Amino acid sequence: MASTAQARAAAPARSGWQTAVHAVLGFVGRWYSVAVVLLLWELIVRSGWVNPRLFPSLGVIWDQLVLMFSRGTIWDHLLATLIRVAAGFGLACAGGVLLGFAMARFRWVDRLFEPLFSFGYPIPRVALYPVFVFVFGLGHLSKIAMIFLECLYPIAVNTYYGTRAVNERYVWAARNMGANEVQVFWKVIVPSALPQIFAGLRIALPVALVIAILTEMIGATEGMGYLIAYASASLSRSQVFAGVVVIAVVGFVLDRVLAIVRRRLVFWERESVQLL
Amino acid sequence: MARVSKHEASSPPALATAAQGQRPLASAHRSALTRLEPLLQALAVPVALLVLWQLGANLGLLPAWLVSPAAIGAQFGAWLVSGELFLHARDSLYRSLSGFALGALFGVVLGLLAGVSPRVASFFDPLISLTYPVPKIAILPVLIVWFGISDTSKIVLILISCFYPCFIAALYGVRAADQTWIWAAQNMGASGWQVFWKVIVPAAAPQIFAGLRVALALAFILMFSSEMIGSSNRTGLGFLILNAEAGGRFDAIFAAILAIGILGFVCDRLLLAVRNRLLVGQSIAEGRHG
Repeated sequence: MASTAQARAAAPARSGWQTAVHAVLGFVGRWYSVAVVLLLWELIVRSGWVNPRLFPSLGVIWDQLVLMFSRGTIWDHLLATLIRVAAGFGLACAGGVLLGFAMARFRWVDRLFEPLFSFGYPIPRVALYPVFVFVFGLGHLSKIAMIFLECLYPIAVNTYYGTRAVNERYVWAARNMGANEVQVFWKVIVPSALPQIFAGLRIALPVALVIAILTEMIGATEGMGYLIAYASASLSRSQVFAGVVVIAVVGFVLDRVLAIVRRRLVFWERESVQLL
Repeated sequence: MARVSKHEASSPPALATAAQGQRPLASAHRSALTRLEPLLQALAVPVALLVLWQLGANLGLLPAWLVSPAAIGAQFGAWLVSGELFLHARDSLYRSLSGFALGALFGVVLGLLAGVSPRVASFFDPLISLTYPVPKIAILPVLIVWFGISDTSKIVLILISCFYPCFIAALYGVRAADQTWIWAAQNMGASGWQVFWKVIVPAAAPQIFAGLRVALALAFILMFSSEMIGSSNRTGLGFLILNAEAGGRFDAIFAAILAIGILGFVCDRLLLAVRNRLLVGQSIAEGRHG
């Protein structure tokens, strides 16, 4: 983006076609590596060094994608996965943010949950999935509960630290100017914790998708993870690759949507380095 | 973020004082007790929950899937005695840690390179930002096709997943290095290589460890899931769970989960210990969330 932005900034001094050339060059300069990798893939497949059944060419994957969407079978799976991600992630957002605020605000909540978060953080909670299947069944509920549990940790922990890191002087200044507790919360604490909360959401969103796909691969009757596992079991490599491409696009789009929401809500601060 | 490190520091000292508290010094006794207090407070809720859980199980109030802690402990102990647990834990650790080590190696090295060289960065940046939000677990079937249902496919999956957080952390760690320090080093006659090793790498180290920590957690998640999905070589803790699930053995499921939890926790603490050793005196803007 930086190079196209530079090209645009330099635009007034140049004529129309020069600007266009610069924009194109900037675009190529930024994205050429993707083309290089795709080209490399195609070359390897075409060269005949590898079995084309194991490495389907881009054309074959594209045909498979078109087929999947024209038949319409993929929509149900996609919808199931998206419902699970949305429900689990949404619940985790609500629960995690509330819990994070409560832990930062009330000492007894902090005492109650802090050990759970500090000791539970490095433990792979997804190992509980078999138990969840017994309790919630094989349908939506077990997946949503699992996504909720996995996403709760980064969101709650980030909200907690974000709230604790609020500059006391802002709070004092607001109180000094006669703000009541509710106003302090909404006008001072929430805005200053918001960048850190979004950092937590940015961590949690890919996790939600991973857990959805993962749990669907382990045990489900619908969803993108099930589709891939099924295609893999029926030895249809091109279908597996097509499924991976769809999941990749979904993951990318969800990430972009979150970035746009963040830009709207946290308009005063550019996204920091927290991709992690 | 400075707050975070203050908070972070609260638990290891608590453990350290616990060890000191056992010294039979009468004079130190009182202060040791007061220093033990945070630890006791932290333990109070989990212990109370465990007691309630056991009581409920004894009274038959709990559903069948929630077996009592004693039964889980018994199964865990039986595995320990028979040595079965060590066998599975060894295989699981081999997969997760070798995948983690390779992913960390590639990620950190390439991330550092991208940090110092704009050309490398501009090559990797679009690739990373396009593929970062993609759930890597989705390519497990592909990897199984390429490498077979073996340790290799699992290790490659863990490698790929661990690569991302390490790469990103190293890249931004280098970018966050204070330009003034670099100028200062150059001013004092440091060569490019010296600036890299003596200034840039240490400056990026806290970020890199944050990335390593995220990657380690990922390695354990993927170890478990790859063993659940594609483990036909019948080893690993994930397979233990799968096996126990097939037999309806809830005590075995929970015992295996306990083992995974302990391993994940211990590896995380080891990484933190290494970090604290290496980063003596560096104040770290790092939370347990990475």
